[in-house]
Amino acid sequence: MTQALRTIPATRAKDTRPKLRIFEFKSEIPASWRLTLGVAVWVIFFAIWQLAAWSGVMPAILLPGPGKVLTALYTLFAESGFLGDVLVSVWRVMLSFVLACALAVPLGILMGAFKTVEAFFSPFVSAWRYLPAPSFIPLLLMWFGAGDAQKLALLFIGVIWFLITLIADHTKAVQKDLINTSVTLGGSRLQVLRTVVVPAALPNIVIAMRQMLAVSWTYLVIAEITAADAGIGAMMMRAKRFLHVDQIMAGILVIGLLGLICDYLLRALHAQAFQYLDEYS
Amino acid sequence: MQSSTILSVRNVCKTFPTRGGGVEALRDVSFSVARNELCVLLGPSGCGKSTLLNIVAGLHTPTSGSLSLEGRPIHGPARERGMVFQSYTSFPWLTVLENVEYGMKLNGIPKAERRERALHYIGLVHLTKFRDAYPKTLSGGMKQRVAIARTLANAPEILLMDEPYGALDAETRWHMQEMLLEILRTTQTTILLVTHDIQEAIFLADRIVFLSAHPGRLKTILELDFKKGKEIRSKEDLVELAGYPECEREIMQLMRGEAKLEEDA
Repeated sequence: MTQALRTIPATRAKDTRPKLRIFEFKSEIPASWRLTLGVAVWVIFFAIWQLAAWSGVMPAILLPGPGKVLTALYTLFAESGFLGDVLVSVWRVMLSFVLACALAVPLGILMGAFKTVEAFFSPFVSAWRYLPAPSFIPLLLMWFGAGDAQKLALLFIGVIWFLITLIADHTKAVQKDLINTSVTLGGSRLQVLRTVVVPAALPNIVIAMRQMLAVSWTYLVIAEITAADAGIGAMMMRAKRFLHVDQIMAGILVIGLLGLICDYLLRALHAQAFQYLDEYS
Repeated sequence: MQSSTILSVRNVCKTFPTRGGGVEALRDVSFSVARNELCVLLGPSGCGKSTLLNIVAGLHTPTSGSLSLEGRPIHGPARERGMVFQSYTSFPWLTVLENVEYGMKLNGIPKAERRERALHYIGLVHLTKFRDAYPKTLSGGMKQRVAIARTLANAPEILLMDEPYGALDAETRWHMQEMLLEILRTTQTTILLVTHDIQEAIFLADRIVFLSAHPGRLKTILELDFKKGKEIRSKEDLVELAGYPECEREIMQLMRGEAKLEEDA
């Protein structure tokens, strides 16, 4: 009888607790691990960079160490008025992106909602998507000169087509039954669009914006190194002329940081605005 | 006026166009639903019962035949034919209360009346405690209750339900079925419900319209006489009722007959 119904002492349980393994498919890891690993990758990166700079594989002028780059960054802000360049760049990215969204959001939603609108615009949008934006630079220079307009136009062309496509796809993915629910409750086409299609697609539209804003930052440098007048890219081109590699690297660092901040802000906005969703995807 | 016809379906055929000439989903289906009756569309999978319900809702158009509600021909979806779907259709960005008010808002019901009616129906489906909750915090059964309250609050002339409990686990399904009967005792409602669950059909229906498969045709209409005049509140009540096993066996044989025809064909 004792064999059939045997209780296992509670203390045994401790020994059978599953061990945390370093490599486990798709399983969550403790927050402390995440933080440590996230910091570690940067420590390793800076260490390799510093070692490379010390080793002398390249002349110090072409490969300054991280310390020199940070010093250059400080000098740029403190003495060379770099903040003005940064603000010009931020302004260009923001303005062009707002203009792109103002066109892409309504158009993408209409394309996703109505097959007729999609059939009309889709061949056009798809074709433009395959044209590399930088190939328009000579044209834009001739049309708009070397000023702000040319840069804004390039940034606009760089993101608009993908933005439209992504938003149209997210709108298309809105569950048919949600639309049918509204329709069978008496919703008109405009009501369904306004009260179901838009709110249902909106969380994913914001995600699409976040992704394309990152792309916009990559086009910024391309826009600013051609016909450089002001901006982060322009500073980097000036630095190249005087072989200030530390300043060029400082510029790259700043663009990276700004991109990260944008990404974080949109992520926070998403989490705040769409609290009703199950989880952030 | 208890037995007056509210919905009438006459000679409805539906063929979905395909590359190879078309798939015939429904052939010459006719039946009617009486006021305040719960009519169940039952049949094996592929009998076109959901297609038929979608045609009644106005979401599909029949290839031929005609439908009318209260004598008026049916063209396209409208408020008078509210529908509850199998998938969860609570709008995740609205609270329970806002979800139930949604249809009335579309139809321009004044705010005070909207609120009062919404709260009444939320009470009817036992969700008063959750009126300010978002759907993500609700279980599947609760989401379906929101959908039912939302559709009823919109005052349709007929409530269409497309396998409304199909996605729920067995125990939740019972509770939902019992709750639907409870709602029917207190409100005057006409329901046309699609299911493939035989017990659900017998439990809920006043009348069962049985369709056969490929293409969907009207096989028979079953009047559930053994339930007439009996107070059935729970599944236990049903199972204990004289005549229930025979009824269930008859429908099982109908289903099996259909399956056999499929094999022979």
